[in-house]
Amino acid sequence: MDFDLSVITDHARFLASGVGVTLALAALSGATSLVLGLVVALLRLYGPRGLRHVVVLYIDSMRAIPVLVVLVWTFFALPIVTGLTMPPFAAALIGLTIHLAAYAAEIIRAGIESVRPGQTRAAVALGMSPAQAVRRIVLPQAVVRTLPAFGSLLSITIKDTAIASVIAVPELMRQSETVAGQSFQPIEVYTFAMLVYFLMLFPVTRGVDRVYRRVAHLGRS
Amino acid sequence: MTLDWSVVWQHRDALLAGTATTVLLTFATMAIAVPCGIVVAVLRLYGPAPVRAAATAYVELFRNLPLILVVFWAFYVLPIWTGLSGLSPLATGLAALALNVTAYNAETFRAGINSIRRGQVEAAMALGMSRLQALRRVIVPQAVRRITPVLASTWVSLFKDTSLVSVIAVTELAYSAMQVRAQTFRVLEMLTAMAAIYWLLGYPQAKLVDWIQRRYAVTE
Repeated sequence: MDFDLSVITDHARFLASGVGVTLALAALSGATSLVLGLVVALLRLYGPRGLRHVVVLYIDSMRAIPVLVVLVWTFFALPIVTGLTMPPFAAALIGLTIHLAAYAAEIIRAGIESVRPGQTRAAVALGMSPAQAVRRIVLPQAVVRTLPAFGSLLSITIKDTAIASVIAVPELMRQSETVAGQSFQPIEVYTFAMLVYFLMLFPVTRGVDRVYRRVAHLGRS
Repeated sequence: MTLDWSVVWQHRDALLAGTATTVLLTFATMAIAVPCGIVVAVLRLYGPAPVRAAATAYVELFRNLPLILVVFWAFYVLPIWTGLSGLSPLATGLAALALNVTAYNAETFRAGINSIRRGQVEAAMALGMSRLQALRRVIVPQAVRRITPVLASTWVSLFKDTSLVSVIAVTELAYSAMQVRAQTFRVLEMLTAMAAIYWLLGYPQAKLVDWIQRRYAVTE
């Protein structure tokens, strides 16, 4: 099997633009799903009873439906419902956020529940309002404890952006498909893409582990 | 916007066949990935140094790659490596899924075995058990409790991830539904039906995972 790497160097700029879109989509959907996930988790734990059931239904539904299906539905079917067409990147951002926020919410909920109720009671006894207790006592500890889980969620986010290639977002996977199709050298192109994804993902998992070992003591109580 | 939901019922055979393939892929992949995962985990824990390094490299590589890329890669590389030009998309998709899930399972088994403290084996041997007896009667029963919940959630992820082999034209549920969509132009109806079928199958599985996790929760 001959390995001809000129196909990579010839399309270096094109593939690099894909890496840029992958990182941008991952960073944006990571941030939006974190915000939405926090809202969902707080609603699930402290929201009115009726709303809690809706939130649980949403979370469990996202655990049941493939992200490919969510993305395809958001891109092709949602515009029919709303009457607004969306560029692929926006559809991918919305689809990934809806999907990943459910996972973020579960991580945050587990983190909050891991802080013993005695701490909230102690905070209230010291004169804090319930909101203050959540903000100043519960959340800071929960944030540290959930760090490893968020590390793997970030890695899942980067991996899931590759699925956005199905709705033609010009990220690394899509760009690789294009180059592979034009050059008739799929093996070189896809093997190179594997290397690039690995180099993006491996430091994330390792880096989060390292940071967590430094700050783990802050979450103990 | 006029909707015509009868299109879903008209194409029930295609959807049903697709659903069957999705379920089959899930079972077949797990049937391969559990034994292979055990082998890789054991090699990684007890193998000679070069084997251990190779097993670790395999696990780390495939846990850090998007599955959709592995599917494409397998589609182009497997026929060349194996020399089988007539490899069906289904077999290729199964191989890609198995490569991916084996890596995850290997990590699950390794973590499960490692989570049993050393002192337990030493205590078992001090009581007169052989190493094998200690493994069988002390380590494995405890490791199973920790591994089962993780395997259960890997199962649900796998069930969802089978949708990714649609990109190499495996006629599972996602591919079948999108085919009908392309033929009939009933986009909203078919995509909603596809999501609904995944939901109907996946929702009970997600709930079952929760139940298993509650049941096997280890408190120390």
